[in-house]
Amino acid sequence: MTKTTSTEEFKDPLKQYVPVQYATRLERSLAEEPITAIQTQPFVEVESGVTVREAIRTLHSLKVSSLLVVDGGKLVGIFTERDVLERVAERFEELADHPVDEVMTENPLVVYETDKAAAGLSAIAVAGYRHVPVLNVEGRPVGIVSPHRVLAFVKDHL
Amino acid sequence: MRTRWLFAGGAGFSEETSEMGLKENLHEETVSRLPIRDAIAVAPDATAREAVTKMRDKQLGCAVIVDDHRTVVGIFTERGVIDALIDGRKLDDVQVGQSKDPEFMTVKETEPISKVWDAVVDRGQRFVCVTSESGKLLGLTGQRGLSEYVSEYYPQQVMVQRLGGKPWMKHREGA
Repeated sequence: MTKTTSTEEFKDPLKQYVPVQYATRLERSLAEEPITAIQTQPFVEVESGVTVREAIRTLHSLKVSSLLVVDGGKLVGIFTERDVLERVAERFEELADHPVDEVMTENPLVVYETDKAAAGLSAIAVAGYRHVPVLNVEGRPVGIVSPHRVLAFVKDHL
Repeated sequence: MRTRWLFAGGAGFSEETSEMGLKENLHEETVSRLPIRDAIAVAPDATAREAVTKMRDKQLGCAVIVDDHRTVVGIFTERGVIDALIDGRKLDDVQVGQSKDPEFMTVKETEPISKVWDAVVDRGQRFVCVTSESGKLLGLTGQRGLSEYVSEYYPQQVMVQRLGGKPWMKHREGA
């Protein structure tokens, strides 16, 4: 095999590269800005093992609709208003002192802080999730995106 | 010529279709264009347990409280369920009419989408009840419907996302 060194013979494969054209400022932001450009904080964490009663009290007192359940800093689940409705409400007395781990949603869909803003919109509008934890590369929660936060981002870029 | 600008991204869009964008369509298009879900309608004297059972079965976060003429008088949400549990009230003892969200909102299907946008984005509403001209309940929209509507404008960005995958490596491999 011979190695080409002449610049005349060299054909740059990137010569035909056409930079991506975006039609709007919002489209560019969705495609190029990181998901952390969307407001991802505040968010609330509780330790694995807290009781269902404590978790619901936290939802109520902080007026939030989801809690990230962590074990040693790593996300193990999410407990939301929907979990209360579907798994707890009709059996509250029975479950109140059980660990929240029994009724949380395990392994929720997550996005990473290195993902683009469009991933937040996709998780909510296409995959249909309302609370999407944002993790760093070590798997630790750094935020949460919600429909309201994504739509506020859209508004700011219209 | 006014044409709805649906596929905004990438090359190949014509001047005709670029005339209008999302921002303009929010004011030009009506609420009937949004995804509208069937609502759960309950009477004001229905118990929270009845509402919860229906909400769970339909996987919906609220029940719409209507009067005898199917006119919306309030909504009962997951938040109302949590309030009842924290207050130590039994679901059978709570009437949804007594535990309704005080800030519910209705829009007519013929009104512009911007009205839903204002309710959701500026006022933080999660659900917006959609009614006919005569005020009868037709369904629900809100955060979810608006998110889906916005995403239709950017399919080339939204539909290609690799959700739930692994993050970029912390350290590069190789040189």
